[in-house]
Amino acid sequence: MNLFRTAFGAAMLVACMNQAALATTQNVIFNGTITATCTLVVATNGTMTVSPDLQSLSSHNSGGSAGTVTLTTTGGVSLSVDPVTTTTVPAADTTAITWTPTYSTSGTHTIAETGSATSLTAPGADLVSVHLAGTKGGSNRFASGNYQATVTVRCE
Amino acid sequence: MTFFGTLATALAVGLIPVAAVAQSMSPMRGEVNSFTDVFAVRVFPANPYDQKIKIEVHVYDQDFQPVEAKISPSVFQLPSQASRPVLVVVPFDGAPDRKVRICTESIPFPNQQTQIKAQICGKFFGHRKS
Repeated sequence: MNLFRTAFGAAMLVACMNQAALATTQNVIFNGTITATCTLVVATNGTMTVSPDLQSLSSHNSGGSAGTVTLTTTGGVSLSVDPVTTTTVPAADTTAITWTPTYSTSGTHTIAETGSATSLTAPGADLVSVHLAGTKGGSNRFASGNYQATVTVRCE
Repeated sequence: MTFFGTLATALAVGLIPVAAVAQSMSPMRGEVNSFTDVFAVRVFPANPYDQKIKIEVHVYDQDFQPVEAKISPSVFQLPSQASRPVLVVVPFDGAPDRKVRICTESIPFPNQQTQIKAQICGKFFGHRKS
């Protein structure tokens, strides 16, 4: 009887081992689309100082500093600065000022200082340094008082 | 055009993208078909700063001349890390197609000697279908 039980158990075990697994697999597909994006975060505004000859008010002058902006993009956008249109000058300053905004970038894109638009083709992050220079010609000089100007940094 | 007409146009064109936080404006590209004399775009300006900022939305043409568009809302305060929808309705002005830039502008740190205005512009192309 014991021999029979052993033989029967062994036969059942072998039969069970030969059963095919019934599990199946299915793929779950994920899709994602990222359109061209650009983020500008102004970190610091710039500071302009006047030159010894009083004909230049610029962030390039000694003691001046560039404004800084962090830029993050997927690429496929362009970076530019607009001509300065919004300024405040002291009442004592009645002569013309030529404002010249420029920028340079470091990071994913290395752009030497320029005032022209630049295409950013690659994705990445950059530190944008924004400069502004005001100049007077001839015998004109900057006056004492507060000057203020707004530079528009555009990503499009 | 009534508010509901505007809203219907916006829904009809089907350009209602998903908002995304931590970017200044989405989408930045779009092509819209419209069966009316206007086309509508819904954009989502976002505030990536750790402070509340004032945001202005403007519409310009290819030469950066202002376009008479209906922007709702055009000026608003946006909390830190927040995003909100802005509906822009642009008239075709009789043309079969119109390209415009929709720009989100902000000066996060005003009242300083040299201010930086950050401007994110999206390019949108409207087609008038008859």
